[in-house]
Amino acid sequence: MATRKLTRSEQLQQTILYPVDWLEERSGLVGGIKYFLFRKVPGDINWFQTLGSATLTAFLVQALTGAILAMYYKPDPQNAYSSIQHITNDIFAGWLVRGMHRWGASVFIILMFLHMGRVFLFGAYKYPRELNWIIGVLLLVMGLGEGFTGYLLPWDQTSYWATVVGININGTAPFLGPFIAQFLQGGTYINPDTLSRFYAIHMLMIPGAIFALIGLHLYLVVRLGVTSPPWSKEAAGTGPLKQPSANGDRSGLMRFAPRRGRS
Amino acid sequence: MPSDRVVERRRVFKQYKEDVKERGKPFFPYAMFHDTVMSFVVVLVIIGLAVIWKYTTPGDHQTTQAGWLGKLLDAPADPGTINFVPRPDWYFYFLFYLLRIFKWPETVILGTIGIPTICLVLLLAMPFIDVRGERRLSRRPVAIVAAVLVIASMGILTYKGATAKEALGTELLADVPHWAVSEHFQNNPEALAGARLFAVAGCLNCHTYNGVGGGFAGAPDLTAEGAKNKGLAFQISHLTCPSCVNPGSPMPSFAGLGPARLRTLAAFLEASRGGK
Repeated sequence: MATRKLTRSEQLQQTILYPVDWLEERSGLVGGIKYFLFRKVPGDINWFQTLGSATLTAFLVQALTGAILAMYYKPDPQNAYSSIQHITNDIFAGWLVRGMHRWGASVFIILMFLHMGRVFLFGAYKYPRELNWIIGVLLLVMGLGEGFTGYLLPWDQTSYWATVVGININGTAPFLGPFIAQFLQGGTYINPDTLSRFYAIHMLMIPGAIFALIGLHLYLVVRLGVTSPPWSKEAAGTGPLKQPSANGDRSGLMRFAPRRGRS
Repeated sequence: MPSDRVVERRRVFKQYKEDVKERGKPFFPYAMFHDTVMSFVVVLVIIGLAVIWKYTTPGDHQTTQAGWLGKLLDAPADPGTINFVPRPDWYFYFLFYLLRIFKWPETVILGTIGIPTICLVLLLAMPFIDVRGERRLSRRPVAIVAAVLVIASMGILTYKGATAKEALGTELLADVPHWAVSEHFQNNPEALAGARLFAVAGCLNCHTYNGVGGGFAGAPDLTAEGAKNKGLAFQISHLTCPSCVNPGSPMPSFAGLGPARLRTLAAFLEASRGGK
């Protein structure tokens, strides 16, 4: 089309944008990110609505510090305790990484509860966001499961006996209880395999599920939008109704589609 | 034909989408700025806690003594231990304390499984229980009362769990001579040895005996255990594997104590006849 010679700055711009265009043409990711960043949110959202992303940050801290700890931790009863000592006392900044993981867990759990409290008080679990509330509750359960399985890993007296009693209490549940206890222990009693089993659950199974659920959680947040604080004078959803559109009620829900940024 | 409620909530959501499109602001940079600030605060708090944990630990910050935030590491796990205090992480204290409230064997299932399961089901079902579109707190009195009750009860349970007194072996050891007198086993050396082991082996974290002990997870009072005449062999096999003898028992195995010590413990239990 354009046959005129490009100026130098236009040439430079094209060179820089080439990889972006290349990626967009083949994946649509650039448009997706643009949609995510420049989607509209209600003008009256406030600081309480940062608790969700704060929780995500705490989880990412756990994932990162956990991956580093996994490089040095040895999940068998002979070496677990000494590997934790080694991490805490010998490895450069090991105490910091372990301390961040230990206390990040508490922060993560506190933030999950605060975030849930915010959603409850804002009535943000109501239509059409019911499903996202359920995903959130599942994430809370998974988070507590991480707390339970991670507690055993240092293999010290407190963690060992708390876990023994914890598993036994699980085992008292009707019907499923004994199976859950057996699954957690890898046998009828707590035994050397129990530690590696807890480790696998703690760093593979549950985190995998948490990542997937967070993905769904965020997808629904972006799709359905963020609620205005209910007390806001200009809360979105309270404005005077304009002319109803021709195709009725479904349009509000069906309008979502990532707009291609450059096409 | 959708009901009025369904039509109304669809209308409100459609209005919401239109309002946001018209009057909203883009996520970047406005909302994202707040999120970023908050995320920095979160990371700084986590780093701060890690630093406090290490640098308030007495000595060279490497010992197993407790600093402000507790021990860096307890003694290594020992399945054959004779003294342990089962304590979960603080965010499980509310569940932990629930087990002290429901301490009678017939109700303990309520504390372990019943109430937590009911709460979880209620939590999951909440959007389907509260189906009104109303979001303003002033018009949701039931929701406010429920929230206050949940926060208060979880707060109280966590506090009680955090301040629950543990039965310390060294203090309980001083009670052994009194037990021997009131239970008439002062001339039975095996029972006396068993009593001393009983005092330090953590049994009283859950069981009660002569008015002391935890009353946790439905563990029965053992003051008159011997009066049930179950016999030494039963006691030993029960201590070795509680749930084999008594299906569903949450009591851990004490096989790690070894046969000789288990025998003294059994002798002590059989000698405890409630003072008769």
